Parts: sequence; structure tokens; C-alpha cells
Amino acid sequence: MLSSGSVSAKSRLLLAVCGVVGVTLSGCSDPAESSAETKNSVSYAWPVSQTPNWISPISSAGHTSTINASLNQVLWTPLIEFNTSGGSMGWDKEASLAKSVEFSPDGRVATITLKDMSWSDGVPVTSRDVEFWLNLIKANKENWANYVDGRMPDIIKKFEAVNSSTFKLTFDDVYNQDWLKSNQLSFIQPIPQHAWDKKSDSGAVGNYDRTESGAKKVFEYIQSEAKDMASYDTNPLWKTTNGPYKIDTFTSSGKVVLAKNKKYDGTDAAHIETVKLLPFTSVEAEQNALRSGELDYGYITASAMAQKETFEASGYKITPKPGWSITYMPYNFNNPKMGDVFSQLYVRQAIQHSIDQKSISEVIWQGTAEPGYGPIPQGSDSPYLSEVQKNNPYPYSIDKAKKLLTSHGWKMGSDGVAVCSSVGTGENECGEGIEKGTRLEIKLLAQSGSTETDNMMNEIRSSLSKAGIKLDVKSAPVNSVLSQTPRCKPSQKQCDWQLSFFGTSGSWYFPPYPTGERIFGTDGPSNFGHYSNPKADRLMQKAVSSKDSSAMVKYSALLAKDLPVVWMPNPVYQVSATREGLKGTAADVDEIYPQRWHWETQK
Amino acid sequence: MSEAQIEVSRRGGAPDGMAAPVSNRMLMWKRFMRNKIAVVGAVVVVLAFAFAFLGPLIYQTDQVHVQLSAANEAPSANHWLGTDAVGFDQLGRMMVGGQVSLTIGLAAGVLATVIGALWGSVAGYTGGWVDAIMMRIVDSGIAIPALFILLVISAIVSPNSLTMILVIGCLAWLVPSRLVRAETLTLKSRDYVLTLRGIGGGHWRVVSRHIVPNTISTLVVNATFQIADAILLVAYVSYLGMGVQAPATDWGGMLSAGLSAAYSGFWWLIIPPGVAIILVVCAFNAIGDGLRDMFDVKGR
Repeated sequence: MLSSGSVSAKSRLLLAVCGVVGVTLSGCSDPAESSAETKNSVSYAWPVSQTPNWISPISSAGHTSTINASLNQVLWTPLIEFNTSGGSMGWDKEASLAKSVEFSPDGRVATITLKDMSWSDGVPVTSRDVEFWLNLIKANKENWANYVDGRMPDIIKKFEAVNSSTFKLTFDDVYNQDWLKSNQLSFIQPIPQHAWDKKSDSGAVGNYDRTESGAKKVFEYIQSEAKDMASYDTNPLWKTTNGPYKIDTFTSSGKVVLAKNKKYDGTDAAHIETVKLLPFTSVEAEQNALRSGELDYGYITASAMAQKETFEASGYKITPKPGWSITYMPYNFNNPKMGDVFSQLYVRQAIQHSIDQKSISEVIWQGTAEPGYGPIPQGSDSPYLSEVQKNNPYPYSIDKAKKLLTSHGWKMGSDGVAVCSSVGTGENECGEGIEKGTRLEIKLLAQSGSTETDNMMNEIRSSLSKAGIKLDVKSAPVNSVLSQTPRCKPSQKQCDWQLSFFGTSGSWYFPPYPTGERIFGTDGPSNFGHYSNPKADRLMQKAVSSKDSSAMVKYSALLAKDLPVVWMPNPVYQVSATREGLKGTAADVDEIYPQRWHWETQK
Repeated sequence: MSEAQIEVSRRGGAPDGMAAPVSNRMLMWKRFMRNKIAVVGAVVVVLAFAFAFLGPLIYQTDQVHVQLSAANEAPSANHWLGTDAVGFDQLGRMMVGGQVSLTIGLAAGVLATVIGALWGSVAGYTGGWVDAIMMRIVDSGIAIPALFILLVISAIVSPNSLTMILVIGCLAWLVPSRLVRAETLTLKSRDYVLTLRGIGGGHWRVVSRHIVPNTISTLVVNATFQIADAILLVAYVSYLGMGVQAPATDWGGMLSAGLSAAYSGFWWLIIPPGVAIILVVCAFNAIGDGLRDMFDVKGR
């Protein structure tokens, strides 16, 4: 028999249990349901361990991350914006300030007309704002992160304002118009001259930019203000914008809250009222936030693709997003030991035949990498992609790889490693500079920290060993790999690297017009292995200076065949996880376009 | 007094009978066998070594060439423990990984004990400023986390079994050196040591023939803990991606590789290496406890 006291205790226990169960059940509610409460906001995860640290639309060395660029373009509308929103890389006119770009018949003058837009304080955006940017950059080009000698702004001989919304740019030479638009004019970022053309906070606004010394002082003032991250959401300078969003909150830890710019009068208005951009220090933490429903828009690793159905059941849509990039392993042609071996095309062909790109992409990268067979990105359609590159001139075949070696004077040793036995430069001999007894043994320095990369290197080592090529893989963090892969002369100690991999997230991201003079040009600053092919140099030069874009296609075919590097599967930029109902995320590759995001019911 | 006599008196045996040492051994053995956990530990260690080194003779797999077409297969008749992300048979991989983990653990543990014994005995025996300097070096070394040093070294040199043994061995000797020094301080003032010095015995002879052998019980017990710690250290380093390079592997590396599949339901990539590490480390620790009990017999 229960006493009244014990009944009361039992009731309390029951209530407590109900409470715990209730709390537990509420915690287990469908994350998709919670989105109903957040229809006017989106929470987004910045790429892992990356946080914005530069607000000025004038880029500065050391602050050139794509997330800074993303933040810039939502606050200040760029003159010409290129992205893959249309399905392939192209001019996104909605996100651009320029209405049209017309070239003179001789190709030396471009006439650009601006859209009818205003700054957030109501002042119209005019040609003067473009001139202001150009003056600042010309006077301070050495301090502008995008400056390359002989490119923007050096190529602009004259700026002429036709009227408040039209201006003319005269170039110093004739250039390929695609290259000009996508790789040079896209740098131009109109900024509010009426508010920023001053030398200090309290200084009066003038036309200081029109003298070199004045432009230097204005530039210095703007850039010094950008160093104070704590004031990004309060500094009046950053309040004069013309983009679809404005900053509501900015913390130095990387959390940024964007609020819709109610005064935006352009063609790319935001739909979501509030966008929360959140930092994460590890992929695991970010994926856990997805699992808990904390995020509307995040990402998963390639290996987590096996859990695709689990994420989908939690209300997320999983979408691999290829980047405008290529992935490769450079040979060091100047390596004293293996340089002469790498110089032989048949050796490079044998190595390329041993890379099973299709299986690596499908199994190791879970279908989130795209086989790449040449210098043009293959993730999306491109007019520059040659048939040769598209059709893979060196398909996976260990037999062909072996035959290439044995038919050029190499014999398989007792340990399975090929050894040069026939010295000379004849057709059936090893080739120039290769000594008798040379073993086909290659040292590879590979990026660490990725299960996919580790597995890929394991597969490549295994395949090469079947062809008679021994691969010794050493892993190191990517910064260490890059620092140990310098351009070097054979006599230098640091030239001991032979093969290098730094492409877990893609080795090289191109500007919209994917010329490769920086990575494959004889004097290219990022041509680490000193590949040199005069024919390729001529084609790359022609691709930039000629109106005819067919040079790019020829360049694609030539390098697909000549193998300046080991072509590798190109991992996607990101495997995105977006909550069901969140639309408008197609253009988000490398940079994000939150103004396009909207919940299904909103548009 | 001759050295033989000194030896007898040191062991505490009765001068008129040779049965005492034998009796001591029996007592020690009984005491060890009475510690059931230690016995189980010993059995686990023996089985682990048999699994790693004899297993591949019975269960033969290719652990050099990957087979992507067989990646991530669940346990089946063909692959008793399934396959990993590149198609390696997981049971065969456990054997290969076990060879590396056990070899490095054992060799590094022994190396650390030997270095520690020599360092501690020299410091304790010599005393004075030599002892002070040597022990401050030990104190400084202990203040720096071994894992940190190991990661730095792994980033500089390409890690393989030999370098891991040398590096772990050269980092883990600090604790045994302290234990041996403490014991040496008490041993060096014993009569037989003083007598040996008195009749002209050299320092090296005293240290190598009397000090070190007398600390053997402490060393053996500590060595088992050193081995367990070394196995764990290898697992940590491999877990952080700085372990031996493919196609070689160890249990820590396997665990690290498998963890990315934790949410994918590929339990066979995580549980076997995890259980193996826990079992072997616990087993060595249990043996250490058993040996400590066993050597305590001397004091009774």
C-alpha cells in the first residue's frame, strides 16, 4: 500500500521521466521542421579553418582568400563578375555593375556602360567611381595583391569618361577579348569616390586620387582602416556599399551576420533577410553541426559520401561542386638524379598510363573527383577543351606502361623495379643523360591530412610498382610540401625533390580564361619543375594576345599529349550539403553568392 | 671477500645452502601465477605475437598491391574481416599492422629501458655535479611532451619502423633513468659495493656488474610499461597521420584510416584495430603489475 507521501514521490518521478522524454523527443525532432522557423535566414559554414580577415575591396597581399572575395562581392558590386551560375564559366551579368562591354574594331578600346545603380547613401554609381579605383591601383600597384607586371593596370593606357554611366578604356596592345574581360577587366571594382576619396577619418572628401601622391595617401588610409577587423561592422567607411547585403555583425573569430540591403537597386537583389556565416575549425565539427541541424548550408568530405543517405534523411541535399581547377603532380625536370629520366616523354607516358583515374575518382573520391587529362578544367563545359584532352590520350594500361619501358632499354630487376640496361639516345635506348643501371625509383612528396589523398597515393604506388616503377611516398602538411617544391637549379640542394602533390582540394584554380603561363610557361613563377616547351609557350602567348581563341584548344591538346606534369583526378571544390528547400546555390563555387539563396516558397 | 661471495650475500642467500635462490624463483613464479590478470595478459601478448607473426603463414593476403574493385567490402568468406578503403584484406592488414606495432613497441620499450638504465645508474653512482647535470637534462626532457617531439621528427624524416624505434626509444628513457638513479643511490652505499671499490674494482665494473643487475627487477617491470606506452605512442602518431608510410601500416594507422568511415557503418575498419591496441596495451600493463608482485617476493 502506498502512502500519500509515496504517491506524491511517484508522481514527481513520472513528471520527471515525462520531462526527460519530452526534452529528448524535442531534441530528436526533424531538423527540416526547424527550417520553417528560419525561412528568412540561412546559416552557412565557411570552409574549414577559414575566416574572413579583409573587408576592403582592394585586395592586399596575405588577404587574398576566396572568402574575403565572397564578402567583398556581396558588399560592393563588381564591374564584371564571372562564375559558373549559367552551367559553365561565363559572365554573370546579374551580379555585375557593367551593362555592356564593346570593343572597337581594332580591339584597342573597350567602351563600358554601367547599370543605373546607387550607393547605399543614395548617390549614383558613376564612371568617376571606376576612375577612382583605377587611379588608386595605378599609383599603388605594387601594394595591390593582384598585380602582375605587364597586366592590369599596366595594360590600360587611357581612361576616358564618356558620361556618368559610360567610359572608355584604351589598351596598350591588342589582346584576346575573352582574356581581357574575364582575367583583367574583372579585377575592376568601382568604389564610392564621393565617400572614400579622403586621407583620414575626419578629412574632407576631394579629388586626391587624381594626383599620384594623393592617390597614395587615400590608398594608405583605406587599407589601414581595413586592418582593424574589430570595426568592420561599425566603421562608417564600410557602410557605403552598393551590394545586395550589408554587414550586421562581424566578429574576429569569423562569424559574420549579413543583413539584406534594403536600398539595393541593382539586378541581383537578395531574398533572404539574414545570412549567418559561421566558422569551423574542423570538418568533424562542421559535419556534426550538419547532423544536429544547426546549419542550413554546409559541406561534407568525399569519404562522407558513403553517408549521403543519412544526410539526405536528415533533410539535406548533397551536391558535389566541381571547381574551375586542375590537379596534377609536377615533375622536377631539374632534379640531378631523375631530371633526365623525366625528360623522356616515353617515361612520362608510362607513368600516365599507370594512373587509373577513373577508379580513383569513383572509388577513392566516391565520385566527387573528375578525371583530368590536360591543362583545361574538365568539370564543366568549356570552349577551350580539346578533343585530345577530353578523350584521354593515355588511358590506364599497365601493359602499355611496361611495354613503353621495356622497348626503350629498361629491364625489370629482380625486385620488380625497372633498370636501364641499354644506354644511348637511339629509339630502343633509355635516352640522353640516363646512365646504365639507373633504377626507375621516384620520390614523391605528398600532401598529408586527407584519407582520400593517402588512399590515392597508395593506389598509384601500387599501380606504378606493377609497371616496374618504384614510388616512395613521403607525406607532409601542404605548406611544407609547397615550401619543399621550389623552382631550383640542379646544383642547388633544395632541388632534391622529384615529384610533388599538393592537390587534395585541386592543385591550381584558374581565373575564368584558363591560360597556363604561370604554371606551364618556361618562366612561369609556379612552374615548379621547370617544364619548358617553346611550342606551348607560343600557344599560351597567342591565347592571350590573339583575338582567335583556337590557340587555347591547341594548347589543351599539346599539353595533354606532352605531359608536363602527371595529370590527376580533380577533386571537387566542395561537396555541399544544403537543407531541402534552399535554392539558388548553383553559382557557389570558390566564391558564394548569398543574394541568390532563397527558400523554395520565396521565389 | 671474493666477488662470488659478494654476489651470494647480495642475493640474501644463506651461506650454507644453495636452495634459497631456487626457492625464491619458485616463490616468484607462484606469485606471478597467482595474479590471474597478469597471466591473462601474458596469454594475450603471446597470442598477439602469434597472430601477427605466424598468422600470415596460414592466412595469406596481398598487402602490397591495392585492389580498388574490392574496396570497403563487408566481412565474408573471402575476407573474414572485410576489406579497407583501397581493397586490402582487413584481417591480413591486422597481422601486418600488428607486426609493426608490436615490433616498434617492444624494441622501443627495450631501447628506452636500456638507455634509461645506463643514464640513471651513471648519474646515481657518480653523484655530485655530474648527477645534477644529468638529472636536469632528464627533468628538461620530461617537461617537453614526447608526442610533440615525435611529430616534429616525423615531419622532418620519412618515418619507418627503424626511425620510429630510435625516436621513441630515445624519447622514452627519461622515466626509467629516474627510477634507476634512485635505486643506484641506495645500492652504491651497500657493503659489497664499497668492498669491491676497496679491493680496486673499477667504476664501470661496479656499474655494469652490480648496480645495473640489482635494478633488474625495477627495469623489467618498467620495461613492460614502456612497451605499452610505446605501442600507444606509435598509435597516436599514426593516428595523426605521421606514422609509417604505406604500404606498411600499424594498428594506430588503421584506426585513423577507419575513423573517417565511422558514420558509414564500416565497423570492421575501426573495431579490430581499436580492440587490438586496447588488449595489447592492457596486457603489457597487467604483466608489469604481475612482475612487480613477483619481484616483491625478494623483500619478504
